[in-house]
Amino acid sequence: MGRLKVKGKAGAAKNFTTRSQAVKKLQCSLADFRRLCILKGIFPREPRSRKKANKGSSAPTSFYYTKDIAYLAHEPVLKKLREHKAFAKKLSRALGRGEWSAAKSLEDNKPVYRLDHIIKERYPTFIDALRDIDDALCMIFLFATLPSTTRLPREIVENCARLAAEWQLYIMHTHSLRKVFLSIKGVYYQAEVMDQTITWLIPYSFTQNVPPDVDLRVMLTFLELYQTLLGFVNFKLYTDATLVYPPPLDAKKDDTAAGVGAFSLQTAEVQVKKAAEKIKSVAVDGRTVTGKDVRQTIKSITAASGEQESGDSEMAELEENVEEEEAFVLQTSHTQVASDLPTLQTLSSLPTSSTSNLFAPYTFWISREVPRSVFEFLIRSFGGRVGWPASSGSGSPFDESDENITHVIIDRPSVQKEETPAQRDLRLRRKFVQPQWVVDSINASKILLEDTYAQGKSLPPHLSPFGEYNGAYDPTAEAEAGDDVDMSDVEEEEAEEAASDDEETEPSKDNVEAALASVTEDPATLRAAELAAEAAGMDYGTFEAKVKKASKKSSAKSSKTVEDAEKDMNKMLMSNKQRKLYEKMKYSQQKQAAENDKLESRRRKLQKDKATQ
Amino acid sequence: MANPNPKKTSVKRKHTEKDDAPAVAPVTLKLSGLEMLTDDEDGDDYNPEDDTDDGEVDEFPEIDAASDSEEDDEDGDDEDEDESLSEDEEDEEEEEEGSTEEDSEVESDYHIFPKAKTVISDITGQPKKVYPEIEPDYDSDSSTEEATNRVGDVPMHWYDDMPHIGYDINGKRVLRPARGDELDKFLATVDDPSAWTSAFDKTSQEEKPLSSEELDIIKRLYAGENPDENYDPYEPMVEWFTGKGKEEIMPLSAAPEPKRRWVRSKWEKQKIMKIVRAIRAGRIVGQKPKTTSKYEVYSIWSSEPSTSAPPALPAPKRALPTNAESYNPPEEYLMTEGERKEWESKDAEDRERDFMPQKFTSLRLVPAYDQFIKERFNRQLDLYLAPRIQRTKLNIDPTSLIPKLPSPSSLRPFPNYKSLNIRHPKGRARCVSISPDGNWAASGDEDGVVSLWEVNVGCEVKRWKFEGKIGSIEWAPRQDVSYFAVGVEEAIHFLIPPNVDSTTLAQTHALLAPSALPSAGPTPSPVKWTSTSVSSWSNDKPILSLTLPPSSGVPTQLQWHKKGDYFASVSTGGATQNAVWIHQLSKRHSQAPFRKIKGAVQLVLFHPTMPHFFVATQQYVRLYNLAEQKLIKTLMPGIRWISCMDVHPSGDHLIVGGYDRKLCWFDLELSEKPYKVLKYHSRAIRSLHFHPKYPLFASASDDGSIQIFHSRVYNDLMTDPLIVPLKILRGHQITDGLGVLQVKWNPKQPWLASAGADGTVAVWCS
Repeated sequence: MGRLKVKGKAGAAKNFTTRSQAVKKLQCSLADFRRLCILKGIFPREPRSRKKANKGSSAPTSFYYTKDIAYLAHEPVLKKLREHKAFAKKLSRALGRGEWSAAKSLEDNKPVYRLDHIIKERYPTFIDALRDIDDALCMIFLFATLPSTTRLPREIVENCARLAAEWQLYIMHTHSLRKVFLSIKGVYYQAEVMDQTITWLIPYSFTQNVPPDVDLRVMLTFLELYQTLLGFVNFKLYTDATLVYPPPLDAKKDDTAAGVGAFSLQTAEVQVKKAAEKIKSVAVDGRTVTGKDVRQTIKSITAASGEQESGDSEMAELEENVEEEEAFVLQTSHTQVASDLPTLQTLSSLPTSSTSNLFAPYTFWISREVPRSVFEFLIRSFGGRVGWPASSGSGSPFDESDENITHVIIDRPSVQKEETPAQRDLRLRRKFVQPQWVVDSINASKILLEDTYAQGKSLPPHLSPFGEYNGAYDPTAEAEAGDDVDMSDVEEEEAEEAASDDEETEPSKDNVEAALASVTEDPATLRAAELAAEAAGMDYGTFEAKVKKASKKSSAKSSKTVEDAEKDMNKMLMSNKQRKLYEKMKYSQQKQAAENDKLESRRRKLQKDKATQ
Repeated sequence: MANPNPKKTSVKRKHTEKDDAPAVAPVTLKLSGLEMLTDDEDGDDYNPEDDTDDGEVDEFPEIDAASDSEEDDEDGDDEDEDESLSEDEEDEEEEEEGSTEEDSEVESDYHIFPKAKTVISDITGQPKKVYPEIEPDYDSDSSTEEATNRVGDVPMHWYDDMPHIGYDINGKRVLRPARGDELDKFLATVDDPSAWTSAFDKTSQEEKPLSSEELDIIKRLYAGENPDENYDPYEPMVEWFTGKGKEEIMPLSAAPEPKRRWVRSKWEKQKIMKIVRAIRAGRIVGQKPKTTSKYEVYSIWSSEPSTSAPPALPAPKRALPTNAESYNPPEEYLMTEGERKEWESKDAEDRERDFMPQKFTSLRLVPAYDQFIKERFNRQLDLYLAPRIQRTKLNIDPTSLIPKLPSPSSLRPFPNYKSLNIRHPKGRARCVSISPDGNWAASGDEDGVVSLWEVNVGCEVKRWKFEGKIGSIEWAPRQDVSYFAVGVEEAIHFLIPPNVDSTTLAQTHALLAPSALPSAGPTPSPVKWTSTSVSSWSNDKPILSLTLPPSSGVPTQLQWHKKGDYFASVSTGGATQNAVWIHQLSKRHSQAPFRKIKGAVQLVLFHPTMPHFFVATQQYVRLYNLAEQKLIKTLMPGIRWISCMDVHPSGDHLIVGGYDRKLCWFDLELSEKPYKVLKYHSRAIRSLHFHPKYPLFASASDDGSIQIFHSRVYNDLMTDPLIVPLKILRGHQITDGLGVLQVKWNPKQPWLASAGADGTVAVWCS
């Protein structure tokens, strides 16, 4: 006989720990436990059987993996939290006794935890971090705009604002923005960084207030983690792009609401030069070959080939290029030589596509009612030049009278007013577009016609660039296809209606129709239908044509029904599980189809209404 | 008694407050207590320029110190005399302040007072000053003076109940001054401009104005200063022991200097060295460099990951926004009024969308989204509070889940349509049976009518009428004879159809009504066999009848053994539990195979090839070996109440149907659990039948439909039987919740006969 198995010593009972057990084991408060869970990314698990995991009780509790909790037990942050608890006690004691200097020294040596190791643990590689940065970006952009209160210290808001600006600067610098969507919740941005698609949402710039039912402590704990994460990510991105991190902030500009313009991007030339040289020197036959040697050999080869002139010019170009590369100044090298092996550097600095420089030939003026932060970011991300009035903040590179301005982004209704010839001239030279034009152009990755988006015009609908699920209702594509079907159907119906109007005098028409509808291969029914038609006074030719049509319809229908019936019969041999799955899928499909149909019909109705008006 | 008292106190004060002029003060004081009034008089003389005094009474702060005493004195004659002692003193001090005045006053004092005579005392023998007696006359102010209270420093409440408040210098009572009521007091304060600078004097029990000196003291006390005006807190230090010429040159003690004065402390050194060592070892760190930020960054991903464990699964991302979320969506996305109301009435968790689609004509009109923070918060709650489950998302076409089966059209023949309808006008058609040659069919209804009809044409040939309802009809399986058994209430009748050819008829007669009855068995059976002789028999009557024991109910099932000698009957609805009988025709003997059986027997079946016997109780099917008389196996279909079953002609497969709509296919070789359970009828299954030749079986149900299946079984043990649904035959009406009650195959043709509760018996042809 084997050993007796003791209940609750193995399996689910051992692998799962309830929350209260976990708190007891870690000897910390529930708040601290929550904080730890947030920071470490530990979340409850659902055991297969709640009863087995919880000593036969099925009470609603949350379960954690025991291993997760054991792993939390020697977490440095937990130690720091305990130290902080002791510190708080000491401090309150010192304050209570009026020992100010003791309190001060305590305060100076206050235990502070850092989250670096947690970042490293949770995101072992940079790509892991990028993959999970969506939420971090949303939160940081949100907190960058919140008003600082007693619960929300100013330092946090400032740090968030800095991180957000740095991220935007990087995106603008690398032209990695791909899609933008103006929704009612805010502006969605999608960028591609290191082949990771990153989407974030920024609320419109209004003052948000934290509602009372939101636990700000939880949000701040998350924010702590996200700030650390984004700091490291920004650092990595900047250093990979050979930029100085943190980008120096011009305090004066920042005070005058220059936004991202207050930061100045600087390339880290010196360090990179050294590193590049190191890499460049390749050992051949035990002798280091430098760039200079290569150049000399190339020179000698070209001299030998005799094509002196062209060679020289080429050479000069090449030389320039090599030097450029050595310097590793971050500029998109316009003279790309095919022989150059693509390094990571060159690849990342390559203009990824023409769309990333969509607005390069244009100069924009953002008028004051348009949110500058949004459109400055968008236009600069796509290579355009942008200016704004002083009322939107300082730092505009040019003023409104600049000759180069090609587009004015304006969101005001057009007002007729008298203008001088100069003004008129200026107005005609510039294109006045509504803000949606910028976003739609970006999403379409081409410059759309400005006329549809001209000032004061009612805009075409703004669609999500992210698409919907497969087979969802598509308001653009279906408009055309649906129209065709629609029109033919409608025409037919109308024609029939007209015909029936003509023949309304004949009451037996309906009978004939009914008889025709019931026509099948059965000769008896055909005969009956013929008789009915004759009684109605229909000539034989039309009757035959109708019969053909009806039979075609019915045959198609019947074949369909036969197939369906067979399928339905085969369904009875499905296992229960399969059947349930099938039903579920069918249900969801039907739901989607119903939704699509609803939208479709609504659109048709709207179109009809429009047409009649 | 009163005189020396003020003198003393004033002297004391002089000493403390005025060190400068200690010599002058006693003289003036001595005078002041006694001869103030004369001083006044003389003051007038002496200081003639002070004529403006009278008008300046009100002005308290600006009062000139020099003229002070005069003012007060002249202010009110009666008051002057009543001045408290302290006041007097103050006055004197004031007087002394002006140095020039002081001198003159001293002079005048000497002039004014009568000269004292120095006489030798008789008692002491010492010289003493003797003043002349003061004559109280009109020249002297003291004559008009009111009696001053001279009680001294006694608690004044001793006099509370007395009419007087003390005694004057002459020992006369000083009467309590009249004190007005509150209104008077108030009026006094209004009338008298100096009221607010007066205080209540306990000794005289009335309000007395404070002198300017007193007010000055109050003012100083109020400012937190020393009340003495002349007090100098910053007096130069008097050097008693230090300074030039005062150095101590000699030691105070002659003791030798102790060692500790010039040798370093060993213990302190040890303590310090301990700290030094700790610092060197790094145990004590000096002031830590303060980190400027908690979020200091560096290249964290340049080193290898610390753990080789794979990172936790990233949290699922939020769904990307769809067209409906746009600030300017196509109009069809907007909610109608009804939808909006529904959306608003729902709880936030139940809503399909967490936002309401809205359309704005311009971007500048888009307001802030009020749920933004709430939404982020909910996302975070999801991240740290919600258990995550990994779900495999099936991205398949649902139709691919439907099993691929051969098309029914490739599995012909099977019954397709209804070819005949035989009506039983009264009562439900309970049972139907087709003769082994496939030409005749017999059907019975609940009215007791058994009708015999031709299968191909549907022409009714013969009709029998019995008492009670017909429970079952079954043709004998033998080809050489032709008869069928009919189960009615507590009896089984054997009927021979008409128009049977003579040889068959003779054989049938010989079988059913033999001339020589076999000898009765050793054990008498409760079942009685009665046969009519061939001579007296007519077509209308049963040739052989079995009478089952009383109250055994209707035999709902008759089951022939393949060879046609044995048949089993099952009666249900009777009182007796043991309702199974096996009858042997050749011996005319009936026996109950089970002495005792668990559960109510529903059905029995003979195994087609072996001496096995299936017995279905409500929930189980048991397989007995009749030869060895033992249980072989128990099948568990998992049906609540078995209604019908049939065995495949090969004998290896069994189908069982139940009232709970389930149909179970058993592979007897395989398991005691069903190989397949099908649930396709919407009501109870009533009847099942395997076709004896074709690979077909049919099931009939109370939903009025008959389902035809193709069922191919393979000799190969590895291949599972193939079951293909072929056709649903509809045509029977549902009456009283009952549909098709029995189906039977034509043994020769793929045709099906079905008896319905609507009183029709139908034949379905291919």
